[in-house]
Amino acid sequence: MARLAVLATIAVAMLVLLDACSRTGSHDDIRSAVSQLPQTLDPRYATDAASARVNRLLYRSLVDFDEHYMPKAAIASWRVLSPRLFRFTLGSEGRHFHDGRYLTAEDVAATYQSVKELPDSPHAAEFANINKIEVRDENTLDFFLQDADSNFPSRLVLGILPAELIARQHDFSQEPVGSGPLKFVSWHRELKLERLDDHQRFSFEEIRDPTVRVLKLVRGETDMLQGDLPPELVNYLKKQPVINVIESTGTNFAYLGLNFADPQLQNPLVRQALAHAIDREAIIKHALVGSSRLAETILPPEHWAGNPDLAAHAYNPVAARELLKQAGIKLPLKLVYKTSTDAQRVRLATMMQAQMQQAGFELEIRSLDWGTFFEDIKRGNFQLYGLMWVGIKTPEIYHQAFHSTSIPPMGANRGRYVDRQVDELITVSDWKNVASRLHEQLPYIPLWYEGQFVAVRKHIVGYVLQPDGNWDGLAKVKRNKFKSVFPGRNAL
Amino acid sequence: MIKRLLAVVPVVFGVVLLTFLLVHLVPGDPVEVMLGESSPMADRAKLRAELGLDQPLPVQFGQYLKALAQGDFGRSIHTRKPIAQSLKERIPATASLALVSLLIAVMIGLPLGIVAALRAGRWPDSLATILSLSLSAMPHFWLGPLLMLMFGLWLGLLPVSGMGNSLSILLPAMTLGLGLAAILTRMTRASLLEVLHEDFVRTARAKGIEEQQVILRHALRAALLPIVTVLGLQLGGLLAGAVITETVFSWEGVGRLLVESIEKRDYPVTQACVLVIALTYVMVNLMTDLLYSRLDPRIRFAK
Repeated sequence: MARLAVLATIAVAMLVLLDACSRTGSHDDIRSAVSQLPQTLDPRYATDAASARVNRLLYRSLVDFDEHYMPKAAIASWRVLSPRLFRFTLGSEGRHFHDGRYLTAEDVAATYQSVKELPDSPHAAEFANINKIEVRDENTLDFFLQDADSNFPSRLVLGILPAELIARQHDFSQEPVGSGPLKFVSWHRELKLERLDDHQRFSFEEIRDPTVRVLKLVRGETDMLQGDLPPELVNYLKKQPVINVIESTGTNFAYLGLNFADPQLQNPLVRQALAHAIDREAIIKHALVGSSRLAETILPPEHWAGNPDLAAHAYNPVAARELLKQAGIKLPLKLVYKTSTDAQRVRLATMMQAQMQQAGFELEIRSLDWGTFFEDIKRGNFQLYGLMWVGIKTPEIYHQAFHSTSIPPMGANRGRYVDRQVDELITVSDWKNVASRLHEQLPYIPLWYEGQFVAVRKHIVGYVLQPDGNWDGLAKVKRNKFKSVFPGRNAL
Repeated sequence: MIKRLLAVVPVVFGVVLLTFLLVHLVPGDPVEVMLGESSPMADRAKLRAELGLDQPLPVQFGQYLKALAQGDFGRSIHTRKPIAQSLKERIPATASLALVSLLIAVMIGLPLGIVAALRAGRWPDSLATILSLSLSAMPHFWLGPLLMLMFGLWLGLLPVSGMGNSLSILLPAMTLGLGLAAILTRMTRASLLEVLHEDFVRTARAKGIEEQQVILRHALRAALLPIVTVLGLQLGGLLAGAVITETVFSWEGVGRLLVESIEKRDYPVTQACVLVIALTYVMVNLMTDLLYSRLDPRIRFAK
């Protein structure tokens, strides 16, 4: 027994030594710890945020957005030849696929054709309006539409795949080939990418637990974390001498969704009372990451279709009670609020519960696992729910979320909101007035745009945050050559 | 022996049938997961037919059994990879974690239990009791980060998480092993104390055998039966994937695969994971039973 113990001790000691040797070897990768790795690297199937963010780096799309979210030329510029005919001309930038092939109009046509035809692609319906794609020459192609669509260019943000590989049914989800600034290296547990310019490598590791992500960053097992941390962990990181935290405003819109099938919530007075019952400023100040700001509608004020003139519904519990009494409701009004099991979401819910109590509401919080929660929301099985719109770029969202024809499964009008005036305003694309009508009618109680942040170790420089939290900054970020002498150890 | 082995067959069939029914009768639609909310009805019907989901349940079950017999678990809805492949990657990770934690538990629990039994009622016993009580009271999601802070940040010895190098296994294995060691200490103490008063121990001592030999060869061997039962049950649990520990330490095992699949509503993966876990339980139980008869002649000859 004793001999065994000695042997075991020696074995462990040797492992420790071996590890110490391997750790002094340099990591030149820039490592990110993320809460979720992409589901798929095939842009034709990608729907989750992580896939979309990585695919933006691996592939290039015809169209992108400028700082006011107007569609702008990416690899192609366009002309509207008629309401149903758009001509795209490819520019000279980003025309080389990572396997050496030259990107031509044929590749673009093949990409969109294949999305339209795939039986199980979640994006197939989006492009069902394309009637025909005609390639005119190597750099030019025409899209013929079934119905006129002035927003058509802003839909063409899908990454372009090489036609030849599509024909061969190449598995892009595991071995992507695009023409973006980063190329794919390998994906075995960690996802590894390489920047074309300077061969800088990047690795992404999935760490579900936020505390563990933070500990890894502090210990130097990873170089950067972006988003997905509760504010107290961000504050902890700000105090660490080896970490830089950068914050900026964001555009991801948090809101409370209301169910119009509920007789009490149909009453506009009750909805107004709700809007006055939440002290958003206090929540932003105490419970959200820095740079979060008040929101009044889905699109932020700097968006070309946004509406900067909406006046906030101020926190006023007395007025809220008054409104409820006017509505002839016996206080307190009991409502059920559904949310996910995410600790931060539950915490925000309890804060709102406490604030709303003063305004005459008795809020019951039901925290459900994501699958059940989202299923309930889609089926309209709720009174109130809390969710966030992430990465919204076009005013199309108003149609998707509030038009009377968008009730699930046709769209995302989960509150079953039907208003003729909103339908008409959406049809004529009068987005400013759509926003103010919604602000009056309150199918959503707008909350805030969540701030963006990234925490990096001090040798990572030049990372630029994007308002929707995408990872485009990786195309430029640098690793400083001077490294700390003791990479592993840090004072707590 | 043969009878015990044959008894496994209906259990396994029951497990397969139940997992199949559970996943197919639960509300929710894999087609909706694949296509998203706003797909036209025609597309859904087409995809449903392609996946064979429009067939009656018994037909689907027959096809499922046929595929299973060929080692085909189907494909994940999300990654579209064959599930057998992800299981092949995940099972060794879970198995090695289970074995290392079991090793840690035995290396700590057995000696501690023996010491506690021999010094029953005196300070080493009380110390072992306090230690094992506090260890078994610590939940894994708390003990895990605590060990990370200690060994990862303060001492700087072990990596915080991940599977990058050979030492990464130690922290998750300790998280699991320490709790298990606590139970094992209590079990060993109780069962050894019972045996120490038996006649054969007195006889062994009377024959003049060294005290160490008496404890390790005679007493401990007789006390082993309840300990093996507990170990068997615990190993079953560990092999089924220590869900929380695997998630906290980003350990790519079966437990984490199961949780992820539930979160993403990836039905085929959930079904495969539940099946693998249930079968593991059945196998470990079978092995414990077989080991019993080796350890205790009374069970072997009872037939």
